[in-house]
Amino acid sequence: MNDDPIDGLDEQSNMLWQRMGNVPTPEPSPEMRTQFYTMLDSFEQEEKAKPQSVWTRIQETVKQRWSVGLAGQLAYGLVLLSVGVAAGVWWQRPNNEQVAYQQRIDTLSVQVGEMRQMMMLSLLENPSATERLRAVSYTKDIPEVDHHVIDALLTTLDNDPNVNVRLVTLEALADLAHDARVRERLVQSLTRQESPLVQVALADVMVKLQEKRSLKPLRQLLRQDGLNYLVKIKLEQTIKELS
Amino acid sequence: MLRVKTGDLSKMGLLFERYHRELFGFLYHMSNKADASEDMVQTVFYRMLKYRHTFTGEGAFRTWMYHLARNVLVDTIRQNKRSAYHQDVADYADRIGGGALADEQLHKTEDVTTLQDALARLTPDHREVLVMSRYQELKYEEIARILNTTEGAVKVRIHRAMNELKKIYFALEHER
Repeated sequence: MNDDPIDGLDEQSNMLWQRMGNVPTPEPSPEMRTQFYTMLDSFEQEEKAKPQSVWTRIQETVKQRWSVGLAGQLAYGLVLLSVGVAAGVWWQRPNNEQVAYQQRIDTLSVQVGEMRQMMMLSLLENPSATERLRAVSYTKDIPEVDHHVIDALLTTLDNDPNVNVRLVTLEALADLAHDARVRERLVQSLTRQESPLVQVALADVMVKLQEKRSLKPLRQLLRQDGLNYLVKIKLEQTIKELS
Repeated sequence: MLRVKTGDLSKMGLLFERYHRELFGFLYHMSNKADASEDMVQTVFYRMLKYRHTFTGEGAFRTWMYHLARNVLVDTIRQNKRSAYHQDVADYADRIGGGALADEQLHKTEDVTTLQDALARLTPDHREVLVMSRYQELKYEEIARILNTTEGAVKVRIHRAMNELKKIYFALEHER
């Protein structure tokens, strides 16, 4: 209803509307003003006399300065803060999950490594050469090779009856040659090997490692009776390269 | 009012000088009691002081004043339900002059008295919109803000109030 309701009044109602103007509004009495100023004065006195604690003053200040505008600003600020916190949580969550996931993977890797190590040590005792070969191949999958594994490999290199196992073991130990003890044992192993294949392989490893300490055992091996001709040539060549 | 809110209570005097007549008129036409209306005006200004922190500064001071006035009116009616909404003829007669009245004036006075009686018999909602519109000369938009409703609803209410007033007025006139 957009039209003025007064314009749409019938004659009688319109007459009443006009007559309503005849109803007088009396003037308030002069005493009203006096009473108001008396009330205002006493109110001011009461306000001044009111003991105000720090807390009350803070409350009063908040009440006085509180407005819809301020409330809006505060609400806006809170919304922004909430959005920031939410974004932060949201942003952090994948990272935390990623870190937790990585930690789980690391833990699992360590556990798998330990299991492989146990399996490797166990399989090296297996009578089957195939199983022992498999055991040696596990070395590459162990993240951190400890002295138990190194000892087992060195023992295998010197004592395993199967040439293939010894060759694979030599290969595995060559990868661990950064360990001084491994290098030393590899040098010592030169005189202990009887298989020409292993002797040649060891000579290659010595060249590769540029292990000059191997010259003495190499020469010693060269003097052995019944040395394979091809091995002899290989040893001479190795001595030459290392000298 | 914002000065009053921030502690400058003396500024309430300016507001009183500017609005006390308007406020008195509203309360008088709503209650038909001059003395009671003066008391109510006093109470409204007291509440303005006491609850000054609730004035947000958003919207007009006048709207806030009418909100307080309506609350005071309701409280007064509750306290003195018997007489608040009935006209006080003696009081009214005192105000318009009294004494020996000419016939024309007497007739006019009777008309006014009947109209005043009819207004007093309206439902408070209808009486309120008529007083605000006719006597306080508030715009429909202002009335809507005070009553917390729409301008359209105010217009509809005024239209219905006038229909109700007409029925009551002519019924009273017929009785007399």
